[in-house]
Formats: sequence, C-alpha cells, structure tokens
Amino acid sequence: MQRSSTSTSAPEALYELATAAARSVVVVGTAKNAGKTTTFNALRAVAHRRGTPVAVTSIGRDGEPADALDAEPKPRVRLSAGTLVALPSGLIPRSPALVILGSGAQSALGITVFARAVLPTVCEIAGPPTARSMRATIDTLRALGDGPVLIDGAIDRIAALAGGDDAVIVATGAASGATVARVAAVAADTVARLTIPGRDPSREHARVVHVAGALDARDAEELLAGPRDITVVVADPTRIAVRGALFAKLRAGVDLRCERPLNVIACTTSPVGRDATLSPRDLVEAVARATGLPTFDVVADLAA
Amino acid sequence: MNRTRVDVDAMSAERIGLTWLRAAVTPLGAFGRRHDESIAPYGPGDEDRARAEIAEVVALAERMDADGVLRVRAALRAVPEPTPIVARARAGDALTDVDFYELGRFVDALDALARAWDAAEHDDAVATRRPPVLEGLRAVLAPGRDGATFYLADAFAPGLSAAREALSAAEAEYEARRETIAARVRDAIGIDPVGDEFVVLRDVYDGPLPDDVLVVRETPTYRAASIRIVAPARDAALTALAEEEEAARRALAERVVREADAVIAATRALGALDRLLARVAFKQRWDGCVPSFASDRIAFADATFAPLAEALAAHGRRYTPLSLDLHGVAVLTGPNMGGKSAALSTVGFLSACVALGVPPPAREASLPLVETIMWIGGEGPEDRTRLLSSYAAEVVRARDTLAAASPCALVLVDEFARTTGPREGRALLVAFVEALRARGAFALVATHFDGVAEAASAPHLRIAGLRGALPRAIAPGDFEAALDAINAAMDYRVVEARDANAASDALAIARLLGLDDALVERARSLHDLE
Repeated sequence: MQRSSTSTSAPEALYELATAAARSVVVVGTAKNAGKTTTFNALRAVAHRRGTPVAVTSIGRDGEPADALDAEPKPRVRLSAGTLVALPSGLIPRSPALVILGSGAQSALGITVFARAVLPTVCEIAGPPTARSMRATIDTLRALGDGPVLIDGAIDRIAALAGGDDAVIVATGAASGATVARVAAVAADTVARLTIPGRDPSREHARVVHVAGALDARDAEELLAGPRDITVVVADPTRIAVRGALFAKLRAGVDLRCERPLNVIACTTSPVGRDATLSPRDLVEAVARATGLPTFDVVADLAA
Repeated sequence: MNRTRVDVDAMSAERIGLTWLRAAVTPLGAFGRRHDESIAPYGPGDEDRARAEIAEVVALAERMDADGVLRVRAALRAVPEPTPIVARARAGDALTDVDFYELGRFVDALDALARAWDAAEHDDAVATRRPPVLEGLRAVLAPGRDGATFYLADAFAPGLSAAREALSAAEAEYEARRETIAARVRDAIGIDPVGDEFVVLRDVYDGPLPDDVLVVRETPTYRAASIRIVAPARDAALTALAEEEEAARRALAERVVREADAVIAATRALGALDRLLARVAFKQRWDGCVPSFASDRIAFADATFAPLAEALAAHGRRYTPLSLDLHGVAVLTGPNMGGKSAALSTVGFLSACVALGVPPPAREASLPLVETIMWIGGEGPEDRTRLLSSYAAEVVRARDTLAAASPCALVLVDEFARTTGPREGRALLVAFVEALRARGAFALVATHFDGVAEAASAPHLRIAGLRGALPRAIAPGDFEAALDAINAAMDYRVVEARDANAASDALAIARLLGLDDALVERARSLHDLE
C-alpha cells in the first residue's frame, strides 16, 4: 500500500534491503525506460538523506538528459557532496570541480576517472567497457570509500558481477508491456533467468552438460529432446539467451545451473510507459507475485 | 655521412638475429620507444657516435647493479604521457582537472624514477644520467595536490573560495526549501517524496497538492507530481562558480605552458635513458665490448651469437664462443653441425649490434659499420609466396645481392647452390665469390664444395672439426646423447684451412644420429672407392 508518513517509505525499505544484502548494488532494467535510473536515484537520495556517502558508477551510459535513441527525457544523476564516482574523463562535469582521485581503464569516452564531489553536481555517468574493468572499477570504489556502491546497470552487461557478492535489483514497468499481466510475466521470466542457481555437486545429476557461450533456442530444443536427468551448466545467467515459454520448459525439464550466480534481491516497478499507463498498485503487487521477490515502486511509495 | 637506415631484409634479419636483437633492446616505456624509433641505425661515417653510445652503455653496465637497472626500467615503464596535454595547453586549449591530475602523476613518476636511480648502486661517474625531476611543475600544481589527488583548490584563484561559499549557501537554502515542500507533501498526502518526483494514488489522496508541487501526468488512478523550486540564487551561484573555475583553469594552464619546455626536455631525457638502459641490461646479460672500427676487417674474439646461446640455455646446453678474422671475402668449410651457419650468423649479429649502438657480445671486436647485410641460403617467407624453388630463390637473392654489393656491404652465404647439380653448383659459387671480391664486399661463404676458396683465390677458413673419432654406439633415438657426444668431440674454432678439402664428417655424424650402420658402411666404401 502507499505508505503513511510514520512507516518506512518504499525507497527507504529498498535501500535497507539492498545495503543489508551487499556492499555494492546494481540496478538493471527489463527494458529501456523501465525505471532503472529512477530506482538508482531513489537509493542515492536515501543515502544522501541519511548522510551516508555513496559511490556511484554505471554499466553503460546513463544520466544523460535525453535518451540517445528516442530523445525521451531521462533522469539526471545528482552527486551529493562527498559522493564518489567512477566515470569516463569525457563526462567529468567542469563545474563544480571534483577531486580527481585516480584513473583506470580506457573507454570510448576517455579513461575511467575516480573522483569525489565537493559540492553537489549533476552529471551523466558511464562505466568502463569490459567486464574485467567493470569489476576492477567496483573494487576500486569499494576501496576508496566506506559506503555502498550503487551501479546503474544494464541487464546484458552484468556478467562482470556474476559470482561476486553484489546485489541485483530488477527494474520493470510499463515500458516492457502494455498490461499489468504482461509486465509481470516479463519480470518473472527475467528474474527466473537471472536467478539460475549456482552449482551444487551434491544435487547435480551424474551427467553434467557444460554449455560454452550462450545457451540459445537450438541448444534448448536439443537439451529438451534428450534425457531429462541431466544438469546443464552455463557460465553465468546472462548466457541464457532463451526467453518465455521455451525457457520455462527448459527450466522445468532439466537441472539448469551456472558457474557464477547472481544475487537478485528485489524488483521495482514503473507504471508509466510510452504506450500505456498502468495502475501502480496493481503493478507492484502483480510483479511481486510473479517473481516472488520484494517489489517496490519508489515513486508511488508502494511495496509488496 | 648522413644515412637514414641500414638495409636488412626480413629473412636476413631473422638469420642474423636482428629481429631477436631489436626485441631484446626495445625500451620499456613509450618515451623510450619513440626515441628509439627516431634514431637510425649507425652506418659508415657514424663510427664516433656509435663508439660513444656503446662506450657509455659499457660504462653504465659496469657501474650500476643489474637489479637497480631493472627497477629503474620498471619505473620508466610507469611514467605517464604528458606530451599531448602540454601540446594542447600550448595551443591555447582549455585543460581539464583530469589533465592537471595526469601532469601531477607525471611529476610523481619522475620522483619515483629518480628514487629508483638513486637506490641503484652506481658511482658518481654516471650521475649525469640521473633522471630529471620537475620542481617547477610540482610547484605549479602543489596547491591542488594532496598525495596523488588533484582538486582545483581555492588557492588557485582569489575568487574561488567566495564563489564556492556562495554556492554552498545557495545549495543549503535550496535543500531547506525542498525539505519544507517535502514535509508539506508528507503532512498533506502521507507519502515521503525521497526524490523530486513522486506519485499520488487517487484512492489515497485526490485533493489539492501543496504549493510548489506540479502535476506532470494525470491518469484515472494516480497523479505524477514533481517538486519544482525556482532557485535563481542557486543558478547564479552555479554560473559564477563555473566562471571562476574556468578562469582558474586558464591561469593554471598558462603556468603549465611556462613549464612546457622542461616537460618536453624531461620526456626526451627519459626516452634517451630508456634506450640506454635497455642496452645496459643487454650488456649485463650478454657481456660485450667497445669495438674498434676498421674498414678492412671483421675480427672478433670469444663472440656469442646470443639468440642461439639463449636457445641452447633453454635446453640446458652451453654455447661455445667463437673467434674469427675476416678480411674481405673468405670461404668457410667444415663438418656438419660444426657451426658454419652459426659463424655466419655471429658475423651478422655483431654487425647488427654495433649498428644499433649495442655492445657486441665478444671479448673484443674490430669491424666496420655497413650499409647492407644480406643473407643468401635457403628460402625466406617472401620467396615461398613468390612460388620460387629453393635454387631459384637463392639465385634471385644472389642477383639482388650483387647489384647492391659494395665495400659497405656484408654478405653471408650459407651453402649457395647446394640444391642443384654439384659440378655446376660449385662453378657457380666460385664465380659468385669472385664477383663479390671484385665489388670489395665483406663476405663469408660457407660451403661443402671442395676447392672453392682456391679456385676463387679467396682465403679459406674452416671449422676445426672433430677432435677424434665419435663414439660408435649411442642408444637408438637418444638424440640428446648424440648431441652431447658431438658437442664433446667438436672443436668449433674457426681456423685457417691448410688444404682445399672441405671434409664434412658427414658419415660419422650420420651414424651417431642413428642412421643404419650397414647403410653408413656401404656409403663409406663407396666414398673410399672414389
């Protein structure tokens, strides 16, 4: 329900859940404009209200005024005083000046720079180009400060986080479906893929099939056509390229596992899409039911 | 004599170890590689410069400890590149805080390099090579540096502090106003707007929204709203600070420009030092000498063909140093596996060393600087792509070699014409040696043909060869034991040949390497009949 002023707000509850789960928290979206950066900014705002200095970065480019593809306005990323940030040198705001702390991997937008805001500022953020450098960037941010590391993520580029102790929040909303049921189904499918369990030798079948690279539809059909008493292992959940009913059949049909699992802890919802506006309350409840995860609307202050 | 390069084709570079040598003496840092690429190999007329560089390398190698050289080279590799930043500053481009940070890293890296230099054991004679430190640039950046970090600190411009205080106050006022509005939202609607945007469900609250809250979207079930604060004081403070910061950066960039010459000079010094230390490390690894330069001979004592020595060491084997005295053109004969090809390679390798300013790995050496080094024998990759047979490839290389042969050329010939009929092949080789002599080139010509040197009136050198009989019995397939036996029995010295015979000990070596005894005996009886 929409909260009263006396209870913990949805952004506060999500922040507590996320920071209790891990030192670094990445937000990914089921589609463009699914509310990813809004969720990211809500977490950052809660930290600011509590006086907790955070570190922020991005997998991909975020915080720009308008979407690079569809020119829709996008939330900017505001850095409070004391915020640590990792971003390409080309995106460092010229004013107010930041303290430049160090430099890292090269990207198309320049070297990755580690900096600290002295006065509040607003900027675009983007992250390093490779999984290895992303991991190194997060580790550096952890070393530079004591607070949470918040990462504005991309669902197809979080392989770098697999096997780590980072928490993942899945943002979903009307951008990924015209109805509450459709959005919930997409969220459930996404969460099911991202929560493929890690390997557990005590529970695996005698026959273990390792899938190198992506597990695609043809792989899935071949696996389903064979014996079902097998354990299928992929490197990490992002390698699973099958969706919807075929993925559901695969998951039900074989013991599907990964070498490096992800730690998905919650969902957020955004009722506003380009083609549909959904009921915030219905959406947050449907997504919670479909995914089995704590679900929040940080703008409507709803939780389920 | 002004020169731009020494001609060595790819196959020759491979055979004489030039490719290996270039890799071995490549500087570790970007400055050193750039400096190295700007220096042409030494050729005829460059003797004084070549001797001076090699002498400095030898002196440093003897006065610095090897571990210290390694540490200084590692520090050189870590020095960041300031040149593009300085160039942009000189051109009047605005510099960024990341640029100032990188310049600070450069200053720090120079300090670390100087410390590494000081920590290396050396005597005062090499103090002039101490890496530079940039006190001027350090002083320029100092107000913004706290350890390795950089901040456009208030001290860089008189107006910065006030502008920042003004913005800070405006931000605090903005935050207070925002919190006042958020409190009104909490009181009126019962929700907590953590960010600037929030949603009000109509079944929770459908009344008027507080002042300064704008509706940005309405639907039958909710209203999306946003806290909007018009804050001209904050906007003005932001603009004022941006102007102050840009002015501070411009002033700082101008001060960097005043240090630009020192920065560029430092990068050049680092480049030269990196090249020098690459050669010092080579000398410390392979030893070497300051050669004397002579125009009429190539002579060396106890020389090491380092690529082969390294390969042998990897297999636990020892390289036997080689001595040779070559005047003009000489023919080299000797047993199989006696080191004829290695002798040719050594001559080329030592010539390549001096051309690159590297101490030739020999106890002593006297040789000229040459314009061209050419290898004939076998095929190179380019020959295979031209679909030439082995013989045709050699003939084409011989043709090209003669066209370029001069007193400034070194020609290394490894069994030319061995793949054609022996009578015609020998005749061709004799004529080729005569042609090389006529052109005044330096050449060492290895062959198994008899009587070539005498027929061409050229000096005849030979590998001393087997000291005695090889053991007859080596376990079949024990290749290592066979090599050990050959190594123990072989005298690798190059000596003056006393007769025209080019004995190759081929049958004894074939037996030792496991060729059927009966077959070898049959070959020996046939040979003795001839």
